[in-house]
Amino acid sequence: MAALGTFVLLTSFVVCAYAIAASVAGARRRSTRLVESGIGAFYFVTALMTVASGILVHAFVTDNYAIKYVQRYSDAAQPLAYKIASYWGGLDGSIMFWVFLLGCFGAAAVHVNRERHRELIPYVVAVIAATEMFFIFLMVVHKNPFSTFLTQAPAQGAGLNPLLQNFYMAIHPPSLYIGFVAMTIPFAFGIAALITGHLDDSWLRAVRRWTMVGWMFLTFGLGLGMLWAYEELGWGGYWGWDPVENAGLLPWFTATAFLHSVMVQERRGMLRVWNVTLVILTFFLTIFGTFMTRSGVVQSVHAFGEDPQLAMMFTVFMVFLLTFSFGLVIYRLPLLRSRNELDSWASREAAFLANNWILLFSAFFVLFATMYPTLSEAVRGERLTVGPPFFNKWMLPVGLILLLLTGIGPLLAWRKSTISNMVHQFLWPVSAAAATAVALVALGVRVWASGICFALCAWVLVTIVQEFIRGAGVRKQTTGTDLFTALVGLFGRSRRRYAGYVVHLGIVLMFFGFAGEGFKKEADINMTPGQQTTVGSFTVRHDALRVTADAQKQMITGHVTVFDNGKEIGTMQPAKWYFEKRVEEPTTEVAIRRAVSQDLYVVLAGFEVATQSAFYKITVNPLVNWVWLGLGFMVVGSIIAMLPESAFAVAMAKLPEGAVTTTLFVLAMFAPAGAHAQSAGGQNVSPVPKTVLYQSLEGEIMCTCGCRRPMNDCPMEPNCHGLDAQRVKLAKFLADGMERDAVLAAFVSDHGSEEILARPIDKGFNRLIWMFPYLLGGTTAVGMALMARRWSRRDAESTADASPRADDQALSARLDDELRDLD
Amino acid sequence: MNSKILKILATTVVIVGALGGLMYTSLIEGTEYYKHVEEVMADPSAWQGKKLQLHGFVVEKSIMRRPGTLDHIFQVQSKGQVVNARYTGIVPDTFKDNSEVVIKGYLGPDGFAVEPDGVMAKCPSKYEAAPLRPSGN
Repeated sequence: MAALGTFVLLTSFVVCAYAIAASVAGARRRSTRLVESGIGAFYFVTALMTVASGILVHAFVTDNYAIKYVQRYSDAAQPLAYKIASYWGGLDGSIMFWVFLLGCFGAAAVHVNRERHRELIPYVVAVIAATEMFFIFLMVVHKNPFSTFLTQAPAQGAGLNPLLQNFYMAIHPPSLYIGFVAMTIPFAFGIAALITGHLDDSWLRAVRRWTMVGWMFLTFGLGLGMLWAYEELGWGGYWGWDPVENAGLLPWFTATAFLHSVMVQERRGMLRVWNVTLVILTFFLTIFGTFMTRSGVVQSVHAFGEDPQLAMMFTVFMVFLLTFSFGLVIYRLPLLRSRNELDSWASREAAFLANNWILLFSAFFVLFATMYPTLSEAVRGERLTVGPPFFNKWMLPVGLILLLLTGIGPLLAWRKSTISNMVHQFLWPVSAAAATAVALVALGVRVWASGICFALCAWVLVTIVQEFIRGAGVRKQTTGTDLFTALVGLFGRSRRRYAGYVVHLGIVLMFFGFAGEGFKKEADINMTPGQQTTVGSFTVRHDALRVTADAQKQMITGHVTVFDNGKEIGTMQPAKWYFEKRVEEPTTEVAIRRAVSQDLYVVLAGFEVATQSAFYKITVNPLVNWVWLGLGFMVVGSIIAMLPESAFAVAMAKLPEGAVTTTLFVLAMFAPAGAHAQSAGGQNVSPVPKTVLYQSLEGEIMCTCGCRRPMNDCPMEPNCHGLDAQRVKLAKFLADGMERDAVLAAFVSDHGSEEILARPIDKGFNRLIWMFPYLLGGTTAVGMALMARRWSRRDAESTADASPRADDQALSARLDDELRDLD
Repeated sequence: MNSKILKILATTVVIVGALGGLMYTSLIEGTEYYKHVEEVMADPSAWQGKKLQLHGFVVEKSIMRRPGTLDHIFQVQSKGQVVNARYTGIVPDTFKDNSEVVIKGYLGPDGFAVEPDGVMAKCPSKYEAAPLRPSGN
């Protein structure tokens, strides 16, 4: 199998080379057959990568430890879903996964655009294939995931790092990769346009769409990364300016900048060099981010293997990339002349320009600070580092300015805003911000950054609401419908604009959450049973320390009771899990009590079994859930922007569904939160000799006396009224030779619900969660296919008749004007 | 046209200059020296009072904690040079005998005072399998 895998990789390398050669030659000689053959070869590479992925996944599922990569990242005891997720758990596999995704996206993009952008397609194919070729090259010569043990293969796998064995592992990297990979497509179109000189605005449409797709996945991926850090790593926060996090953030900044400045080019024909540059930079930063995190160039608390050879290859590729791309830009400068000039600083294009500068500054600042240790070592020979405080010091004001611009941009008119319409537009937002600021000062809020942030949130929120209300008002007047229909109609009329506002709403909610950081409270405390401590409004009492075990791991669980303002509100069970394979690296199972206003976040940081004492790290995180909610809105907003117009034609029927989607999405983000950590099965010493299976089942089945503890942990024992009957039942089932799953199923059916189980059955809910990324992938694929069909169909229409679009623009311009004149 | 270019240039120079200046001053405050134990302990007095990130390995059996508190003292070594360190707070899971650590704080005449949350033990693995443990000596 491994040999086959390597063979497939080698084949795809050769086919890639052919695809490049055939496309470029075909384009130069104007030979349709050659171009078609290049496209065919390009599709074939995708097919080959699918086969290669299939082989690797198969190897993981069948525990083929002859393959080094499988041996390192998997073991037989791992659940199926983790085995599959191990595919991208390591360096070699993640590169292959990257190429696989790029293949899928590239094929989709080429398929969608092959008719409309006939001139560009050969070069698009060549650029994407060249990128694929680079990564395949890396695998073939250096990091082959299919390399096998030369001598005897170990019989056991080393297992995936326990830190990676969780829900987010399955979904966070794929989402981030998709975001990264999708940025290759705008780049390919940009380069193709530069090579061919077809630099009219039509290629921008394709570029903008794919950047949007990438942006959405990148946002989603970054959000999941934050959730992962918050829920799994247990340091109480969600963003630590770690190089790995920064790597994902860099292209996000430039992509966001592009999505704004592209509007200026579409409307006013300005910023053309700038936009091409942003597209190139975004792609470059995705490659650079990969390089940074994989080659060991930047030291991170996460130790990445240092790999000078890989660093070398990446450097060569990046230098080539930059030289080639910017060389082309310079060569085509005459064609990239701006058609217009900035009329006034009080115009929307000026606001976009400012937004771009800030975003670009953010990107370069983060890049600089992340690379600072490496840079200083190179320049001064001394390794100097900067920590999160340095980042925060700079990014905090930058973020606030960006938030302010989010509120200003939509209020300004294109070209030039007159004083009177500025007063008209700014009156409410500014009043709202001022009112909030005054209220905050009156309430005694003295955290300045957070206070300003709250005020700005109010500003932007009112801006967005005002835009919706005025837009809907105009529509109501012109179409004569009710307000609600008019609101939905707005999305149909000018989808991108109002979808953009939904994204902005997400930004506001997220900043609202960020501002909560200013009121964070923390305590590190050592407590013996019965002792308690107060953090913020919460009092936490340490009740007991329990040591339990299951087949995979030993679990140390701290049991604490929580009081809010003196009132008991529940118990929490933070834990430390020691996986047998990796006793050296226990995982921290954080216990989080979520609420709209604040999270209570308890980590068991250490313990002494002898004295039953425990060290807790207790954090009160105000408003943190608003960050997740905001991320949800951002993703939903970008989905709306990508929806085909027909989705709004039947607008009324669709809206409730949209609301359901939003809720589901937000729920999906929250769902895994409660499910972890809180499952603490007891396993006290029992005088009765019991089989291992019996013991583990006692920990999994709840006692029915109402104590809400597992059978082996019932506090009422030995006087418990329900326990004996249950024990007899359990013993009988086992005596009948029933397996674990059968016993649990019998208990569930007798009891009538899964409440009888201390933990949800692995098969049910948990497996369902694991399905999520695959469902997501599937849905995306289907959605993309549908979109592809639509776009290609619309293509045929638009070539036949280009006037409806012009009409649309005229209409939206009129709407714009009407809004301005509304007094 | 010329005056426009001049204006743009002047604005750019001012903005870049201001930002650069700000950046430089905040860098000076925010910068920490990243050093290995042997580099610093070769001439300890030269490094006193500077904010340091010290890289080394925890000396075997040197970690001691005052019972019932979070006060730790331990030793970090690298290439034969050893430094005493003290720290109050919670240590990471991976902070053990021989583990590779980076400690943040200031060097004083009586040893290295680690600032809060200043102990970082390297995650043995994220994308890569755990490397072999370096020997204690």
